[in-house]
Amino acid sequence: MTAVAYVEVGDRPIKAINDDIRAAIAAGNEVVVTNTLSRHNLGIGLPDGAKVRFEGSVGYYCGGLNNGAHIEITRDAGWGLGEAMAAGEILVEGYVGMSAGASMRGGLIHVRGDAGPRCGVAMKGGDIIVEGRIGYLSGFMAHAGRIIALGGAGDACADSLWGGEVWVAGPIASLGVDTKVVEPEPAEVEAVEKLLASRGLDDAGRDWKKIVSAQKLWYFDSRDSRAWLMI
Amino acid sequence: MCGIAGRILGRPGTVGADLVAMMEAMVHRGGDSTGFALYGERRDDGYIVRVVGDDRRRLSADLETFLGVLRDCGGDFLEDPTWDDTGQRHVSVRMIVSPPRVDLADWVARADAIGGFQIQSVGRSLEIVKDVGTAQEVAAKHRVATFVGTHGIANARMATESKVSPTASHPFWARPFPDVAIVHNGQLTNYFLLKDRLTRKGYRFLTENDSELIAVWISDQMAKGHDLESALERSLRALDGVFTYLITTADRLGMAKDRWAIKPLAAVEDGPDLAIATEEQAVRKVYPGEVAVRTFDGPDQTATWAVGMVEVMR
Repeated sequence: MTAVAYVEVGDRPIKAINDDIRAAIAAGNEVVVTNTLSRHNLGIGLPDGAKVRFEGSVGYYCGGLNNGAHIEITRDAGWGLGEAMAAGEILVEGYVGMSAGASMRGGLIHVRGDAGPRCGVAMKGGDIIVEGRIGYLSGFMAHAGRIIALGGAGDACADSLWGGEVWVAGPIASLGVDTKVVEPEPAEVEAVEKLLASRGLDDAGRDWKKIVSAQKLWYFDSRDSRAWLMI
Repeated sequence: MCGIAGRILGRPGTVGADLVAMMEAMVHRGGDSTGFALYGERRDDGYIVRVVGDDRRRLSADLETFLGVLRDCGGDFLEDPTWDDTGQRHVSVRMIVSPPRVDLADWVARADAIGGFQIQSVGRSLEIVKDVGTAQEVAAKHRVATFVGTHGIANARMATESKVSPTASHPFWARPFPDVAIVHNGQLTNYFLLKDRLTRKGYRFLTENDSELIAVWISDQMAKGHDLESALERSLRALDGVFTYLITTADRLGMAKDRWAIKPLAAVEDGPDLAIATEEQAVRKVYPGEVAVRTFDGPDQTATWAVGMVEVMR
């Protein structure tokens, strides 16, 4: 059994807290972080294999630059959750604020509640699962990776999507520019459902809309300037 | 990027201390100036006037001229004015004046024309206290934490588009509407167009700050008969740019957020009490327990809260 180390946030300097988390991980502990008070930049750049649980709500950029750690947040998360993460997993029990998974390159973010605007903005890989609804402009300018929303999507969904996929079960308020809804291949649906099942979210009856880039913005064409004016 | 905060207490209390605590938590969002719009006990017999004087050495002469104009307009000092004793060149003066017999706007225009003094606020309960420096510095200098009242708003400023000075700091008073104040995080891109329109209608501005414009624009809408909710809603299309602002009157606090959803805001609604701020961690300075936080992350939002009552939704 792995030992559990507790790290208190409170009013302490963020650097000292993050140093304590790293030291506890290096000593082979699972880490439980308490009294989080929605503070920013908690658990940045955590290493592969680490297990860290934040008990309470966290502020901006929690789990950013994650390098393979399993991170759990028992309440809500603020803006930029898991920004630029490379690997690992972040589970949020509540709501996640704007730009969750911004520029992420790999790994998995799993949100039990809703996600704010610009979920997965500029993501370059990995998966984001949101059990609730993804907000306005989600997937904006993403290059690769998958966003999977079980509870619908807000306005301008997947706006200016460059690559990657946005999967939505539930209503979409409106689609963003340069997007198209395509019929997913059975193998793709199977892969998505398998990922969801691995998170305890089995449900074969979902009505998927798979959104990909229409690729009109990939190349500038002065004769087609109206497409660019839509931006 | 600026940090803003607001507080309502169901019964008069430590609104100054609460706002100071919230602003200290957001000092990283702007430390060049900090300001507070505080609402204390409402006066029935006159106005509280907050003024910044340019030059402490001229204070007695400036006060005398100011009083001369006030008396010409049919008003007077109800109490001796008080001011900060820091010895800095600029001086913050607090006055209690009886209502001028002329229109309030006319008196303010005449007082503004004197020079030397800049009127920061006029109200039955509003007092705007603002200065250069961090939340801690400004709060200590002006004893903000001891202020007892019902509600207030505050701002930590990172100046982007106008100069750094006590007068250019937030909050701004909606000249000449008593008891209306604003704090704003963002920038407008149609500032000159709207300012030109309002100036033609006779409004005057103390600064070249876009936030001052929003306060006057909203007040003008309300003068035309719109209620606060509808004025806030109309501002979502009339104002161009990115913004999240909080506006207060003698008995309300309202917010509006633009269509691009760039500037954050989070609130705890606790019966008749409200704590609202750019960052959730600031709100949690006054609510350190695990509480339900209402975030305003999405685009095109407005909300209002009544002071001294339960929440009134739009």
